[in-house]
Amino acid sequence: MANFIPAGDGGHSGWRASVQKIGGSLAGMVIPNIGAFIAWGLLTALFIPTGWLPNEQLSSMVGPMIINLLPILIGYTGGRLVHGQRGAVIGAVATVGVIVGTSIPMFLGAMLIGPLAAWVLKKIDGVLDPVTPPGFEMLIGNFSLGIAGMLMAILGYLGIGPAVNVLSDTLGAGVKVLVDTGLLPLASILVEPAKILFLNNAINHGVLAPIGVVEAEEAGKSIMFMLESNPGPGLGILLAFWLAGPKILRGSAPGAIVIHFLGGIHEIYFPYVLLKPLVVLAAIAGGATGVATFLVTGVGLVATPSPGSIFAYMAMTPPGNHFGVLLGILLSAAVSFVVAFFILKASKSDDAADLDAAKAKSAAMKSGN
Amino acid sequence: MATVSGASVKSIVVACEAGMGSSVMVAKQLAKQLKAQGVSVTHAPVNQLADTEHDLVLCHRGLGSRAKQAVPGSVVVMFDMFIGDLNIAKVVSLIQSGDDISDD
Repeated sequence: MANFIPAGDGGHSGWRASVQKIGGSLAGMVIPNIGAFIAWGLLTALFIPTGWLPNEQLSSMVGPMIINLLPILIGYTGGRLVHGQRGAVIGAVATVGVIVGTSIPMFLGAMLIGPLAAWVLKKIDGVLDPVTPPGFEMLIGNFSLGIAGMLMAILGYLGIGPAVNVLSDTLGAGVKVLVDTGLLPLASILVEPAKILFLNNAINHGVLAPIGVVEAEEAGKSIMFMLESNPGPGLGILLAFWLAGPKILRGSAPGAIVIHFLGGIHEIYFPYVLLKPLVVLAAIAGGATGVATFLVTGVGLVATPSPGSIFAYMAMTPPGNHFGVLLGILLSAAVSFVVAFFILKASKSDDAADLDAAKAKSAAMKSGN
Repeated sequence: MATVSGASVKSIVVACEAGMGSSVMVAKQLAKQLKAQGVSVTHAPVNQLADTEHDLVLCHRGLGSRAKQAVPGSVVVMFDMFIGDLNIAKVVSLIQSGDDISDD
């Protein structure tokens, strides 16, 4: 570890950038709409029959929001990313076709057809724009969007909806097998290292949340929301860096703990792990411990806690689940802390080199090179 | 590799994946430090960098290659830590002194 800069180079291409890019666009459709997810999650936690304040009238909003509103928002945002406001509108129109084609929350379908419809419209606009006579822009613009929107909605209804339904069922069945056989904690072996490589949003919002909402709609909660977003492992790792990390990193660790655990910005602990890559083992051990605890105590969350702050966690926890949720976070933090602590202690001898490298770098910086 | 004079930097964009979490945090910190220089600091998702007006881009090293792809002609400075980062401190001091900033 003589090199102060972590190995996660800034290279100019590579599989990581590509995966991040695909995952990033999935997350980019979801993250701007998280506020709507929270509104839905709070309504669910409060007013469904097993909620804090069961209320039949108010809980009637829960279904239409998850089935209609949230997928349309995702399709709208996905379309906007590809082709601005016109893309957003056609994305929303086409998403309706996918929604009514099935009975489950169509997040994956919306993520597909929103950008696809916008891309088709972009191509159509590319052909029509140059040949549109002056004064006819609005007429042609509105009708090209309207006609293309109608066709994309029909395509969604007949093609994409049923196809994604099969995909969702398969994914759901696969997850159910993992849950039933108790193998779900093994997911941490993939999830935690991927997080450190900044695939956190891609995994959580692109993969896990779409599976989770289907389950949450039926069962009122899902453990899928907790696989990536548990703030416990990061807390344990930062605590270990505070007490046993390289001296240069200790000072910033308490601030990082507040930002990570209370503010929910997990990105803040990734650089610490990148500097001491072996610590990823602590993240995996803590993550798996958390998932196992959530599984054994049978808890889940009503919606994605985003950002992954302890406050978001508590707000998204349905009644009666708080003990299991807190226990899982606590145990995962404890396990991560112990593992990370020993890894850092064992690598103590490297610290002198680290410090020298940092000093050299800092000197170079002062001289303005 | 690209270079920009610290004295001419008037707007900085900090990029992260969603443009809503870590980039906002870094941008807020940086805006405070560069208030006296009249530099505006905003934040954006890395895949929408091309739509932003900027003299300088900052992003975490883990997203560096995507930022470079998005805005190949811009100076993209990569940092490692979200608080107390040496490269960010260097950018601040170069802007304050008006010296050249390069992203080699």
